[in-house]
Amino acid sequence: MARHSKIHVGLEIGTSKTCIVVGEVKPDTAVKILGIGTTKTAGVRKGEIYDFPQARACLKDALVKAEDASDVEIGSVYLAITGSHIQGLNSRGTFRLPEGQSIVAPEHVEEARGIARDVHIPPDHVHIHPIIRNYLLDDLEHHSSPVGLYGKTVEADFHIVHGMGARIQNSIRLVRETPLEVDDIVFSPIATAQMALDDEQRERGALVIDIGGGTTDYALYLDGAIAASGCIPVGGDHITNDIHLVTGLAFSNSEKLKIMAGDASPDLSRSVGVAKLVDDRGYAEVEVSRSILNEIIRQRLEETLQLVYQRLPQDSVKSIGAGIFLTGGTSLMRGFSELAFQVFGRDIYRPEPPEISGVQASFKDPQYATAIGLIRYAQILETERATPPGLFGKVSRLFWPFGK
Amino acid sequence: MIPYHRTPQPTLPSSAVKIVGLGGAGVNMLERVALDGTEGAELLALNTDVRTLTGCVAGEKIQLGRDLTKGLGAGGDPELGHQAMLEAETEIRDSLRGRKIVFLCIGLGGGTGSGGAPILTRIAREEGAFVVVFATMPFAFEGRRRREQAETTLNELAVLANALVTFDNNRMGELVLAKQGIHEAFAAADHMICESIKAVIRLVVRPGLINIGLDDLMSALRTNRSRCLFGSGIAKGKDRAASALRNALASPLLDQGALLKAAQTVLVHLCGGEDLTLYEVELLMQRLQKFVPESAHVLFGAVVDPTMGDNLSVTLISALPEDSLAAAPRQLSHAAENPSTEAAGESPLPTPTAQPKPRRISSVDNPAPSLFGEETPIAQPTAAPSVQAEFRSAGPLPVEEPSSPAVSVPPADIDSLPEEEDTYDVTPNSSESASATAAHSGVGLDEPSEPESPKLKLGVKSLTPQNELSFDSTPRGRFEGQSPNVVDGEDLDLPPFLRKKK
Repeated sequence: MARHSKIHVGLEIGTSKTCIVVGEVKPDTAVKILGIGTTKTAGVRKGEIYDFPQARACLKDALVKAEDASDVEIGSVYLAITGSHIQGLNSRGTFRLPEGQSIVAPEHVEEARGIARDVHIPPDHVHIHPIIRNYLLDDLEHHSSPVGLYGKTVEADFHIVHGMGARIQNSIRLVRETPLEVDDIVFSPIATAQMALDDEQRERGALVIDIGGGTTDYALYLDGAIAASGCIPVGGDHITNDIHLVTGLAFSNSEKLKIMAGDASPDLSRSVGVAKLVDDRGYAEVEVSRSILNEIIRQRLEETLQLVYQRLPQDSVKSIGAGIFLTGGTSLMRGFSELAFQVFGRDIYRPEPPEISGVQASFKDPQYATAIGLIRYAQILETERATPPGLFGKVSRLFWPFGK
Repeated sequence: MIPYHRTPQPTLPSSAVKIVGLGGAGVNMLERVALDGTEGAELLALNTDVRTLTGCVAGEKIQLGRDLTKGLGAGGDPELGHQAMLEAETEIRDSLRGRKIVFLCIGLGGGTGSGGAPILTRIAREEGAFVVVFATMPFAFEGRRRREQAETTLNELAVLANALVTFDNNRMGELVLAKQGIHEAFAAADHMICESIKAVIRLVVRPGLINIGLDDLMSALRTNRSRCLFGSGIAKGKDRAASALRNALASPLLDQGALLKAAQTVLVHLCGGEDLTLYEVELLMQRLQKFVPESAHVLFGAVVDPTMGDNLSVTLISALPEDSLAAAPRQLSHAAENPSTEAAGESPLPTPTAQPKPRRISSVDNPAPSLFGEETPIAQPTAAPSVQAEFRSAGPLPVEEPSSPAVSVPPADIDSLPEEEDTYDVTPNSSESASATAAHSGVGLDEPSEPESPKLKLGVKSLTPQNELSFDSTPRGRFEGQSPNVVDGEDLDLPPFLRKKK
């Protein structure tokens, strides 16, 4: 369908790093990553900007790096947003066909959608994504619009992601001041899921958990459609902070210990002995008992996963067939899969980016999953926009990428 | 030197206080008051509907209209509520006898509450009590009829009660999030009312160092047909003065302090432990100045209460005339002592002829009840009806109603949500609220917190030295100073390793 290559740029302003990925979508819909620009972020906490000038400087730095690496002049980006204020909820709109009409007309479907989108969200919140999950015609599921079919009641199931308007606006403003245009904003876990999951996995049921520096984002897909999404303001920074608070070590040392020696597995045999940090001259600078270190990490991560578990719809974990996909920098923690298995009791994967050519090595890193997922998101969106707008063209192109 | 003994100020025994809940809504409020603890005040529940009474935790219950409604409710008919109340008059009179102060909680608009409240107020006044009425106005969706019933009763109560505090249920919507259950919404509203009742009790029962009495309370609430602005905050620790004020202003009835801009009289009541310093009081009052117009009359009271520990509580009470009411001054009724005729008869009409009169003193028939027995009447309620009459004649007030934009954005306002086409376009009201919060948070920061060096003890010299800066909150590392990240009552910024151990 696409006739020529198209370049998309994904931007994620994370708590620990700002990451810009430049990707080229080839005519055969394969994605090639042209370049990545990352820089350590300052001025962002728990996924939300608290120091505007610092965050702007980081963004500019990452932009320069990405332009250098890819040899592309970047004009507009897809922006991933996150933060604990963002919530996903499901809503169903029911419309009963008027007397005398037995065939579903486009306006009936539109009406059902309108009702479904009319959810109560706090007055200062705005919609980020209204994603259509399913249609139901007389309680029978239809994955595509039931226009033209016989029936009495049309129902539309929506997953609605909403967040505080002001905070989202601030992220957008940061990008616009750089100056870059924002093509679209995407809730991080949804972008990550584009990368981590293929259609089959979505159909069988899959949960993506993106544990980054400051936040843990999750998106649950069941029967091919998104069923839950959200953000918990806890991430890798919290582990470092926990180590700092419990052991009294400096942040830099805590961070090093976490990366070099930390292990989250519930297996006690891994918690034997002492973890040491050796300074430049070969002296042991820091010594911490592994049992304490691992316990700190394990408790934090276990609690975080439990929080995700609790926020998922009741009994939905049982219907996850494909498994749980961990991503984000913190998912590199040793023993994390075992811990996640203990909590969820499902298969645990750390996704590998599929079908991407280019300098492979760095793209295997789950730290880039969200930004690369943005490219995929942009690609799907672009394919949709390329189709001539039909009766619902305008509306459907926003919903389509996520499911049916 | 002549030693001067500070005579302990006369306190009101809590047995002299009675809190009465009338009607379904009133009984609900009463339950909330009972559950939150009332420092020994007696509770009396009155209702026609016997079902709500049986479930009520109040110490005393009286069924109204035993023969009239036979245990059923008044069915939203004030006339029925009126009759039912008259039927139980002697019982109620016995129950209220000898009380110095009566708090009456009612939800207006229904049958029992609207019909019975004027009579109950009259009975209480006749028994010599000072009557403070806490009334909630019905929701807008309950219809005009209920609203009118409520207004009629409110007009009567304005004349009869010594002080009238009105809460608008429509504003209560802001207390809770849109998605919260209706139970929580009502519980929050009841809690709000309960807090204000307790604050008023605290105000009049505890003797103050800088005393505030019922007279001050009345002048703060003098705009009798008004919506009560109430905020109460409590805080402890290093920056307690500022955070207590912040908590108080966070009350939805104050709209982050914005509503105070139009207030004419503001009552500020501070209550702290024995380590309350003058510096703290000064700091707090200074901050408050930013929210209160310069011309406003600030009634200030401070109390040292050893039971407060190192807590500091701030209570703000004020009243705003309701917009429509300010525009239509109603006829004064001298027949305050004869309300039943008025209650049954015509509702007072707006009369533009009622000219503002400077003072009207002697139209008092009810002698002011001395609350403190034979001792010096400190909180001398100077004949409530006259005060009200005086105010009510004051004509349209030049006070703009600042709350109307806020009220016009109920949580159910879904139309203002952006359409799906432009997903990151932000509605204007959200950016407004952002700037409001920004302004608010700015207030908290702009004053450098100085060390509390100039300690001028306000209270009686306590034997124990002033508390050290207690480090009761655990250090939070790099998340220090941020708003706590609380989920299910646990601060996620603290290590689970430390939290789970406890």
